[in-house]
Amino acid sequence: MHEMGVAMEICRIAEAHTGSAGASRLRRVAVVVGNDAAVEPSSLEFCLEALLGQPPFGAARAEIVREPGDALRVDYLEVDDGCAGD
Amino acid sequence: MAVRVIDVRERVMEQNERIAETVRRRLYEADVPAINLMSSPGAGKTLLLERTLAELGSALRLATIVGDIRTQNDADRLARHTERLVQAVVTGGACHLDARQVSAALDNIDLGDTDLVFIENVGNLVCPASWALGETTNAVLFAVTEGEDKPLKYPKVFQRSSVAIVTKTDLLPYLDFDLDRAIGYLRDVNPNIDILLTSARTGAGLDAWYDMIRALVPDAAHAASAAG
Repeated sequence: MHEMGVAMEICRIAEAHTGSAGASRLRRVAVVVGNDAAVEPSSLEFCLEALLGQPPFGAARAEIVREPGDALRVDYLEVDDGCAGD
Repeated sequence: MAVRVIDVRERVMEQNERIAETVRRRLYEADVPAINLMSSPGAGKTLLLERTLAELGSALRLATIVGDIRTQNDADRLARHTERLVQAVVTGGACHLDARQVSAALDNIDLGDTDLVFIENVGNLVCPASWALGETTNAVLFAVTEGEDKPLKYPKVFQRSSVAIVTKTDLLPYLDFDLDRAIGYLRDVNPNIDILLTSARTGAGLDAWYDMIRALVPDAAHAASAAG
């Protein structure tokens, strides 16, 4: 449940940045999870995949990068710029 | 189809921490301290608060915010011991309170008519430690019915807390709980933590807890010395 709360916060950040960049579709969310962040990466990935498969996202993927320390941040997003016919 | 990378670099907890900061400022400006009580489920947060509200409620104006995943049972229990507001927050699945919920709960509390706010967090030793609420003081409860090594297993919540309230000490004669070992583990993870040995059932050790509460309320110390 902790991971779900974290995943929901990540999705909120992703949605805000996708919207403000004028992008139509989110493809990938890269999240940095420190080894001491008290977050279990595989549970977080599971929660993110579940949320990112739902509206307003569609079929975005989560990519989790480990690093030392207690960092927990959204690193970057990969988005489609929404060409006609996409 | 053009794929583009947006650099974000935003900490996941950033928005919660921003809201926690506004809560902290609001409490500071109103001169109202807030104690965030955290523990595993069943460690005795509600009983401690029931007794505290009953025994300090006539001298101090105490408001309470109570988080639970489901039910308002704890809020109902506490409301029987105070005339003042007990604000229930049903988190609907979330295993911790967050700053937004505390901020919304504060909207219902008249801070000008309040000396101190208790925040009874959801029973959980993991998640509450990661979510700042804007509290003044973090207190962690640790029941003698738990394992002595809880501080080693869940260090973050003990490191974030300035006081550990060991609860249910009236049960010590019936348990194999090694109090010295438990205190040693508490100090291992947080050498500066204050440790209170209490039983909300018998009242043992509660004076030190009440002194701690009074010390947080500037007017209460003043009133007590004026009365003395």
